Amino acid sequence: KIFNKMDSSLLEPTLYIVKGMVIMDNDGNRILAKYFDNNIFPSVKEQKAFEKNLFAKTHRANSEVIMLDGLTCVYKSNVDLFFYVMGSCNDNELILMTVLHCLYDSTSQILRKNVEKRVLMENLDVVMLAVDEICDGGIILEADPNAICQRVALRADDIPIGEQ
Amino acid sequence: TKMNFKRDKKEEESGEASNPFGNLEKTTVLQEARAFNDTLINPRKCTVILSKILYLLNQGEVFGTTEATETFFAITKLFQSKDPILRRMVYLGIKELSHIAEDVIIVTSSLTKDMTGKEDLYRGAAIRALCTITDVSMLQALERYLKQAIVDKLPHVSSAALVRAYHLTSGSGELVKRWVSEVQEALNNDNVMVQYHALGVLYHIRKADRLAVTKLVTRLTKSHMKSPFAVSLLIRIAAKLVDEEEKPLDSPFFDFLESCLRHKSELVIFEAAHAIINLKNVTPREINPAVSVLQLFCSSPKPALRFAAVRTLNKVAISHPTSVTNCNVDLENLITDSNRSIATLAITTLLKTGAESSIDR
Repeated sequence: KIFNKMDSSLLEPTLYIVKGMVIMDNDGNRILAKYFDNNIFPSVKEQKAFEKNLFAKTHRANSEVIMLDGLTCVYKSNVDLFFYVMGSCNDNELILMTVLHCLYDSTSQILRKNVEKRVLMENLDVVMLAVDEICDGGIILEADPNAICQRVALRADDIPIGEQ
Repeated sequence: TKMNFKRDKKEEESGEASNPFGNLEKTTVLQEARAFNDTLINPRKCTVILSKILYLLNQGEVFGTTEATETFFAITKLFQSKDPILRRMVYLGIKELSHIAEDVIIVTSSLTKDMTGKEDLYRGAAIRALCTITDVSMLQALERYLKQAIVDKLPHVSSAALVRAYHLTSGSGELVKRWVSEVQEALNNDNVMVQYHALGVLYHIRKADRLAVTKLVTRLTKSHMKSPFAVSLLIRIAAKLVDEEEKPLDSPFFDFLESCLRHKSELVIFEAAHAIINLKNVTPREINPAVSVLQLFCSSPKPALRFAAVRTLNKVAISHPTSVTNCNVDLENLITDSNRSIATLAITTLLKTGAESSIDR
């Protein structure tokens, strides 16, 4: 019996869940972005066009979830920062939300609750490490913000980058 | 001593003053990177420079092969430093440049040392960097270490090896098949993420062998896995099996899907409802329990949950419109939802269930 994948709407049992993660500022500029599926946006140009569109549609409406360009995007903002996690349009939104919360809460812990652009830029290195610990090539590596913060070895002497 | 930046209003608004990454020039940054060759490495300074390089790459700045290779080799000099943050940034630099620079395998031994070394903070990240620069022909030499890493006591080491094994199977499934016993052992790990990753890899290895998958699912549906991610993956595997059966609804796996509708995690409940609704041969009677939980989600305070529910009900409305009629009142409430996507989905769903009158109201 041949099982035709085309006519099934069941979700594929795969570890590849996350299509992308983005942090933007309040002008819609990319601070950090990771895309894990080259079939969706083959180049940075397409990624940035998508981000521009995503920002335009989300920066005033704090409503947590939107469908755009065939992707489900969940998001959260604070002060002048916007956090996004993307997945495929028929995937489980609640899994994506878990990843978003992890991204936001880890960042918040790293920035000692000052989730704003200035502080993030001063700690960009550690935030980069955290993003790398959350997702590996589209696979959710860790979803617990406390575990993430342990793994990025938060620095004891926090001298902001701009003040050396 | 800390400097006080006196900013005028305009600068404050643009945020440039506080952003050392504001107007970076690639050539300037690459000149700064000469500091990587210093005999005495200043970890803080080098971490900042490396952050700038990674930031430029992330912004889509193009590095030519020669540029990338020179930068890559400069970064390898930083292995001399024992600063943990710098070391971890080095791994990121290696990963980011590995597909542009040439001769990246030069760092193989440094990374192998780190993945097997005493510094626990390095090990998982070193594995991930190492597997990024490794091709199938070199894997043979690392196989022993990766197998050991899969069964390591530290969850992040185990997860790193499993996830990288999963990525590698796309290229060399054969090799990873030899690691089955280690992966099986990792499946019994107490850590929820290790469990999840192990199940993913094991299914990937076994998926062509229906009997083996059936055995695996039979065992796991009785074992009460702790990880919501793992259970959601198990639901997907079980649903596939149910879908291929002659009498799908007599299957014990269907009972498992139904039981997951009563799970404590919303993520799992939704996954189960979604799976049941999308089975090929379900009748309204089997769909109803799934529709009921989605109906509850419709009035959740969480937008993502309402969105997930109405998106799925929209689908049911195509195949079984009568099953959704019970939810009409809940859907009507969503027409005025502050989230436009939810409102739109609610309206199109109501149109499918023949409840135009309620939209007119």
